[in-house]
Amino acid sequence: MNDISSRNIDLVDRYLQAVRFWLPKTHRQDDLIAELGEDLRSQIDEKETELGHPLDKAETAAILRRCGSPMMVAGRLGPQRHLIGPALFPIYEFVLKMVLLWILVPVFIFILGPVNAANSGGNFGVAIASTLGDLWFALFIAAGIITLVFAIIERTNAHLGVECKWDPLKLPPVRREQPKQASRLKAVCELGFGWFGLIWLSLLPHYPVLILGPAAAFLKAGPALHTFYPLILALSVVGILRSAMTLARPEWIWFPLASQLANSVFVLVVLNYIIQAVSRSTSAFPFVMMQDGAHRQLAAIVNVSILLSIAATWLGVCIAAVVQSWQFMRYLRKRTPGGHLPESLRAR
Amino acid sequence: MANGTDSSEVLENLKLELRRGCLIVAVLAQLRNEQYGYTLRKALADDGLAIDEGTLYPLLRRLETQGLLASQWREEEKRNKRFYRLSSAGDLILKQLLEEWENINASLNKILQEASL
Repeated sequence: MNDISSRNIDLVDRYLQAVRFWLPKTHRQDDLIAELGEDLRSQIDEKETELGHPLDKAETAAILRRCGSPMMVAGRLGPQRHLIGPALFPIYEFVLKMVLLWILVPVFIFILGPVNAANSGGNFGVAIASTLGDLWFALFIAAGIITLVFAIIERTNAHLGVECKWDPLKLPPVRREQPKQASRLKAVCELGFGWFGLIWLSLLPHYPVLILGPAAAFLKAGPALHTFYPLILALSVVGILRSAMTLARPEWIWFPLASQLANSVFVLVVLNYIIQAVSRSTSAFPFVMMQDGAHRQLAAIVNVSILLSIAATWLGVCIAAVVQSWQFMRYLRKRTPGGHLPESLRAR
Repeated sequence: MANGTDSSEVLENLKLELRRGCLIVAVLAQLRNEQYGYTLRKALADDGLAIDEGTLYPLLRRLETQGLLASQWREEEKRNKRFYRLSSAGDLILKQLLEEWENINASLNKILQEASL
């Protein structure tokens, strides 16, 4: 054997060794490697016959390169493997989305986040970072556990029994989502409560007992309430107009959706404005203050309670705005061609 | 379809799918005469059905596991080679597959003729 041939065989052996590394360690491994080696040597022989001289290193490397990288070749030669197969994958994806997006993320953002913020002693940056860190860790662990459980189900073929038991008669009916007209009763109730609220708000400056109860004897409205009172009154009037329009034009299906969204945005702007103004305020009692020098502690508690209520309302309106945006987008999408079809029958 | 690259990719995938079933018939038909892997690949390529090592050898193993092929390692030209040939069960299956192929071909021709009317 000349020097060039031995160098070629060395290169082929190195290639086969690399392919062997990626192949599963079964009794067929040697068989596969031997057959692949024979194929490569036959290719080299044929090329040498065609060229009339032994292949050099570069020419042998070209044959190996054409064959593919060792990892890729091993992947094709070995058995088809997957952690979670196509039969189980849709339910795996569904469970993963449910647990991660619809359970863990809301729990951390709306429950654990505020709890961490409340316990942080005013250090909100640390509280947010800690919540996000915990959320990331929880998402990682949950995804790992779900993947592991589904991989075990795949390996043990436990899903085959479930697949055989399904009954076409138990399939849910086709969803027929048609745009509904706004409920007249709902609109009437909204209008009634709107008027009631407006009257109550109008009476507040003259009868503070309506909001402060017995405490009105020693507490009075602070500067922030005086400033924002016209805005709150305007919100109430807008709400009444919205209910009246819904009642007068029930065929305007888009109106309740669009006006609710606009209303929520308006409320958010007002609440933001109030929160920012109060945080900039130098007064220790922005919402209510004492009639005289006494009851400072009570006034402080009422102010903090109102501020917390505003913050909670802001959070609630944020969620409502997201839901309303989604509902409005869904309505707009349904207006597109084919949008009238049930969702399950629509072309994706 | 977004652009020409997408369209050629779709065509390549469809061609691969179309070839997949045909390759089994071609391999079985070629192995009516005993051959080893490399000569089989060459013969298929010469007849216009090129197939790479990563596709052929797993296919040969699968067909052997199903009892359609028989194989043995033998020395030829001072090298060990694995020779494959069609088993008696494989011969029977090949006949049935060729019959099915004829039926599919006839149906397809009929559909194409009807479509061109």
